[in-house]
Amino acid sequence: MKPNAVIVGIGASEFGRSLPQSQLALGATALKHALADAGLEREDVDGLSLHLGWPLGSDYDRYAEAYGLDIRYVNQTWLHGRFTGQSLQSAAFAVSAGLADVVACITAVSFTRERGFLGGPGDVEGNREEGGSHGEAPPYGLTAPAGGAALGMQRYMHLYGATPEKLAAVPMSMRAHALRNERAIMRKPMTLDDYMTSRMVVDPLRLFDCSLINDGAVVALVTTEERARDLRQKPVRIAGMQGIRAGREEFIFAPRGMGINQQSGRQGPARAVDLEIYRMAGLERSDMAAFYTYDAFSPLVLFALERFGFCGPGEAADFVQGGRIGPGGELPVNTSGGLLSEAHVAGWNSIAEMVRQLRGTAGASQIPDARALQWGTCWGDGVILTS
Amino acid sequence: MQIDYGKPLPRISPDNAPFWEGCREGRLMLPTCEDCDAPHLPPGPVCPHCFSDRLVWREASGRGTISTFVVVHKAWFPAFAADLPYNVAQIELSEGPRLTATILDAERSDLFIGRPVTVVFLARDGIVLPYFRPATAD
Repeated sequence: MKPNAVIVGIGASEFGRSLPQSQLALGATALKHALADAGLEREDVDGLSLHLGWPLGSDYDRYAEAYGLDIRYVNQTWLHGRFTGQSLQSAAFAVSAGLADVVACITAVSFTRERGFLGGPGDVEGNREEGGSHGEAPPYGLTAPAGGAALGMQRYMHLYGATPEKLAAVPMSMRAHALRNERAIMRKPMTLDDYMTSRMVVDPLRLFDCSLINDGAVVALVTTEERARDLRQKPVRIAGMQGIRAGREEFIFAPRGMGINQQSGRQGPARAVDLEIYRMAGLERSDMAAFYTYDAFSPLVLFALERFGFCGPGEAADFVQGGRIGPGGELPVNTSGGLLSEAHVAGWNSIAEMVRQLRGTAGASQIPDARALQWGTCWGDGVILTS
Repeated sequence: MQIDYGKPLPRISPDNAPFWEGCREGRLMLPTCEDCDAPHLPPGPVCPHCFSDRLVWREASGRGTISTFVVVHKAWFPAFAADLPYNVAQIELSEGPRLTATILDAERSDLFIGRPVTVVFLARDGIVLPYFRPATAD
């Protein structure tokens, strides 16, 4: 079954560090902008899909109460960035099934105020039985998600000969995109020397391998094709989806099977089940004008490219060289600058960018004639959007 | 040997309690399936390979190799600030499952994937934790 779901409105707050507003206030700004963008009223919103609940963000009932919404469908995932695609998918399911007419996907973060949750003593996440879900081992001082990405990258470098100099192409490409984007927090060019001399955070990852810590909000409004006909914007279709992968062959921040945690150590090429998103969309991977991914840490971009078969196992560090994923490249990635250089709004800054690209309103970042774009993460979920 | 107070301790559950009891006795214990013979980590309620309920705890050799590692340079957690930089590794035990722990007495140049290591046990805040040391040649 194909979802009957389109994105009809996007809105954002400003993105920045140490913004004075609460998450709820940032979210209200983004929601107002999204409603105005779509030509919808607050009263039209009858569904919520939230990505980052307490303790990082607010919960669905508080949003509904604070904004005066009257809601009949709710999805809320626990506080991880990994659920960007799933939150959008849940909105698509809800409108397709008639459980809601208009679902607001609201993501509002105040990471600068909530730093203690990011790997510090307030991060209860890592203290669950058997450690956290990014390979955290708090008794040994591995308490932050960055550690999980570093575990993955260290082994990837060992297996495939990838180097820090090659990995640098990821954050440098994201920065090159951000230079074209006035909303981006990081607007200074990044050289290889800048990257190599940035401080080590968790070896092998340097400061510029890690996403920004910032505040901001993005809202996307999802409804059906039929409802979209009356609205202001050209709808952006949710044409294909696939879900998050889990199991002993999976680790959130490594290619399937690469040998982290209990993975077998047998990383293979993308299989049919890894690529089902293209079948649902009726499109080929080569139809994607750009790729968007959760670049919380630069290795995740490499692993996502391999996950969806843009290159083979161990090939991504070479694949991203020579400007291929930068502005005007063969496969631009995160054309607004991503979490590494635009802002960390848990991936929704990139979802909003995909919508702008497909509307043809992406300004200096615009890809000529962009008709199909993919969101895909290294944990295997994806969403294809089409104009 | 005691290590600083204030560092997080493992959460003991009904499924993993025998692992931590083994550490107290200086033995690295693995939940092992009586049906398919495979050990697994982290300790779970059933065999993750064949879904059998018939688990027994068997002592592992305590030997393994580093399968990946990181060196932490940032003080995310105040109780670890004085230790910076420190390593955290995943160790592939010779029995197969992987365990996460710090490699003691290891400089950065001692840390590499494939490096043989052996388990040691250290007491901390009323619990005994497994650590590893670079293995000496037999």
